[in-house]
Amino acid sequence: MTSRTEAIAALIASSRGARPQSLASQEAEEVLNISLALVVELAVSNDRIDRLERLVAELREEDVEALRDIRYDGAIAREREDATEALLMRSLRVILDPRTAKDAGTPTG
Amino acid sequence: MKVRDVQHAVLPQATAEERSRQEAVVALRRLLNSKVRPRNVERYVEEAQPAFVEAYGRMPQSPEDVQRAFLMAPGYRRWSAANRAAQEMIWVSVGEPVYRDLDRMKKAAADLIGSPEKRGSLTLDPGYDPSPEVADVDIHLQPGGYAMNSDDQDVVAGALYECGGNVFSFGQGIGRSDSKAGVILRLLKEHFGGFVPEKMLDIGCSAGAASAAYAAHFTEGAVHAVDIGAGMLRYAHARAESLGVGVHFHQMDAASLDFANDSFDLVVSHNLMHEIGEEKRRRMIAESFRVVRPGGIVIHQDVAIRNQPSLVHQVERDWDTHFNGEVHWNTYATADLRADMIAAGFPGDMVIEHDLAALQGFANNRWYAVSGRKPVR
Repeated sequence: MTSRTEAIAALIASSRGARPQSLASQEAEEVLNISLALVVELAVSNDRIDRLERLVAELREEDVEALRDIRYDGAIAREREDATEALLMRSLRVILDPRTAKDAGTPTG
Repeated sequence: MKVRDVQHAVLPQATAEERSRQEAVVALRRLLNSKVRPRNVERYVEEAQPAFVEAYGRMPQSPEDVQRAFLMAPGYRRWSAANRAAQEMIWVSVGEPVYRDLDRMKKAAADLIGSPEKRGSLTLDPGYDPSPEVADVDIHLQPGGYAMNSDDQDVVAGALYECGGNVFSFGQGIGRSDSKAGVILRLLKEHFGGFVPEKMLDIGCSAGAASAAYAAHFTEGAVHAVDIGAGMLRYAHARAESLGVGVHFHQMDAASLDFANDSFDLVVSHNLMHEIGEEKRRRMIAESFRVVRPGGIVIHQDVAIRNQPSLVHQVERDWDTHFNGEVHWNTYATADLRADMIAAGFPGDMVIEHDLAALQGFANNRWYAVSGRKPVR
């Protein structure tokens, strides 16, 4: 049995030919590729959450929609808001950072 | 026989997570194909053409001009980058389970190939060097290409082709019940009086989905199939055996068939013409004429990308040539295939080009075919 990382490495190693680029910037194209791959991984995680929700609903002998409709108030709601805001700040850090950009496309140091 | 999404012993056993990943890539490709790509021609008018005129002081005229103009449109470039990324993600989503489960798949294939009760056969030619114009390219970016054969039990090329083909097709809007073989069987019924071959040949069979479907349909007949790669054919043979149908697979070049004249009642090819260059295509068509018997039928089926309404549509459709490893895409799209059939020996009044509706699919999918009947001497 090959591990998942070995499997992905084998696949990458077997690919041939140059990689034609569509965007003007190679960096931008690579970031787009990473973003789309993360969207796919998010969908994979959502499927996993969905499976768990259905299993929990089954164990609780209630409708899955009722389980999904649970809303929290008070301390729990505030805890979720903080968690969401922290996630957004981590994700959008680069546009929150007040420092100006410099040396675009030129070697530094 | 259903040909897409069929369960058999040589398929990788994908985990729930791997299936989720494949379904997400299908959804991504479906969105790009149905919501983003249809705007490309509009983007050409609004963004590409004005940018080209401003840069060159004239209207784009040649296919090269139109291609250059397209690449000056940010909207087209974003779609193109995303489409290429999605195509590569097809291979990641199916390649991981293939390589992860490869030891079991090789064993399953070897058991089926070595079974004394098998119905078909596999004839590999160790002296054959797979045609470089196909073997040396990662066609539609399939890693390692069609002829990859790492060892004498390798089945990776066939597994990638079948699994990647399913993810590609569903993302393209092709229905799970569609079948290129089914479309040709319908054509035989409706256009050729329900012609039933005793012996038929499938040229460029790849992972053998159509070959197995023909074998399941023509239960009294013999189905032969050829392709260039040992890994692809090993998989195709084991797949057919696992599905309980007998197909005789041969490693052979489509343009140089090792069969006697007049050997078959029916000769077909599926999606082969767009994978080979002009010279090989003409030789392949000539070979199909040579090996079919007088009164027999030849049908070459392929993708419906021909006869685009304008040069802009044609160049837009030609994205695959440059970005998707489909180096002969445009050669096929613009070829005079009727002339090729006549040059091969078919009388002009027996050559017909067909615009065929798919059996199933949400996006009005169609297939192209050109058929010919060899005259009775």
